[in-house]
Amino acid sequence: MRVTIFDYGAGNLHSLAKALAGDGVSVAVEGDPLIALRTDVLVLPGVGNFRQAAARLTSARAAIRDAIRAGLPTLGVCLGMQLLFDSSTEGPGRGLGVIAGRVSRLAAFRVPHIGWNTVDDARDPLFRAAPLPTAYFANGYACRPEDETLVTAWTTHDRDRFPAVVRAGRTVGVQFHPEKSSIAGVQFVRAFLAGLSA
Amino acid sequence: MTLRKRVIVCLDVADGSVVKGVRFAGLRAMGDPVALASGYEAAGADEIVFLDVSAALDGRETLLDCVRHTADGLFIPLTVGGGIRSVEDASRALRAGADKIAVNTAAVERPALLTELSAHFGAQCVVASIDARRTRDQWEVFVRGATTPTGRDAITWARECVERGAGEILLTSIDRDGTRAGYDLALTQAVAARVSVPVIASGGAGSAQDVRRVLTETGADAALVAGILHEGGTTVDAIKLELANGNVSVRAAV
Repeated sequence: MRVTIFDYGAGNLHSLAKALAGDGVSVAVEGDPLIALRTDVLVLPGVGNFRQAAARLTSARAAIRDAIRAGLPTLGVCLGMQLLFDSSTEGPGRGLGVIAGRVSRLAAFRVPHIGWNTVDDARDPLFRAAPLPTAYFANGYACRPEDETLVTAWTTHDRDRFPAVVRAGRTVGVQFHPEKSSIAGVQFVRAFLAGLSA
Repeated sequence: MTLRKRVIVCLDVADGSVVKGVRFAGLRAMGDPVALASGYEAAGADEIVFLDVSAALDGRETLLDCVRHTADGLFIPLTVGGGIRSVEDASRALRAGADKIAVNTAAVERPALLTELSAHFGAQCVVASIDARRTRDQWEVFVRGATTPTGRDAITWARECVERGAGEILLTSIDRDGTRAGYDLALTQAVAARVSVPVIASGGAGSAQDVRRVLTETGADAALVAGILHEGGTTVDAIKLELANGNVSVRAAV
């Protein structure tokens, strides 16, 4: 199975690549969004800010959205999850618009939300294979989907309850960093890949 | 349950080895930051910090190698600090496998660095490291390894760091550092009450009880622990047990 991490040009992709690289999986990191689409699984990583990442996606936005809608399995991590939505108050630019809704700043005293938090109401099938009761988050913004039935796990910071996981078919967005959530997080990523070939 | 309080293990690294206050167990393993970091993850540490204390410039390259090897097997967040002066320096550390960048002297000398780092990598990636010493009725910021006074007030500077884009404050009490006399609760509370980002308390941990006190009696989100762990005075497990018994919400040790 070929897994491609789209590189927006900011931050650490090392741990995510390591977490994805299980048996029978080859991981590539690709900076050209159109080349990144030639893959079995697309991964949108989690570091950077919305404006810069959206700008990097602009030229390929329609192609990526169409590929995901046509069934390309996609995992969006943190900012990568947020890019699945329409827009963000973090900055200008359009997200992929795969999931209807917007991204807005957390309503909390301390922002960013940094650290380990509970994954609540976890009903995503991935949690059956890989339980993840607490996960590591590092986000100042959160996704606000129009259709909350797409939310398959939640978390709460201060007074703000927001999606920890969203799922639309074979596209999964996680607000936490599984690759920073110790062994259980790595198992969660591997369960996502295993579920695709099952 | 809500956001957990964090126990963060700090390793001072020079020329590829952990240097300060490390004296138990096999010397080879103790000197190797890669093995130490993985060991602390297994023991339940919530994050790791590498502070580069290399005197020489080429020590930095050695540190990046070290970050690379560590990141190969580490699946908790890794913060790297020491000698990062530009977006380019930060980018190299992140590419090597760091998740967050800590800046101290370079931010005081050129505060716009915080804004640049935040714009490129996001606030959650930028840790403003502040070394403060009590002077009569306030705390003064020192730089260059706590040797050089700046005339800046620590609370004012912490607030400026946040305005400029820092997503966390790593606050070290120079007065308590290495003393094992407990964290500076007054300093920690004074800063945590005046900034809207997480504060990591540092300097002075002598026991698990000290960690509990700083996390219950101040607004700190996290406590940095170094010497007492490396020297075997306590363990991450013992600290987490003390915290849990004190009704502090922590991540269960794995």
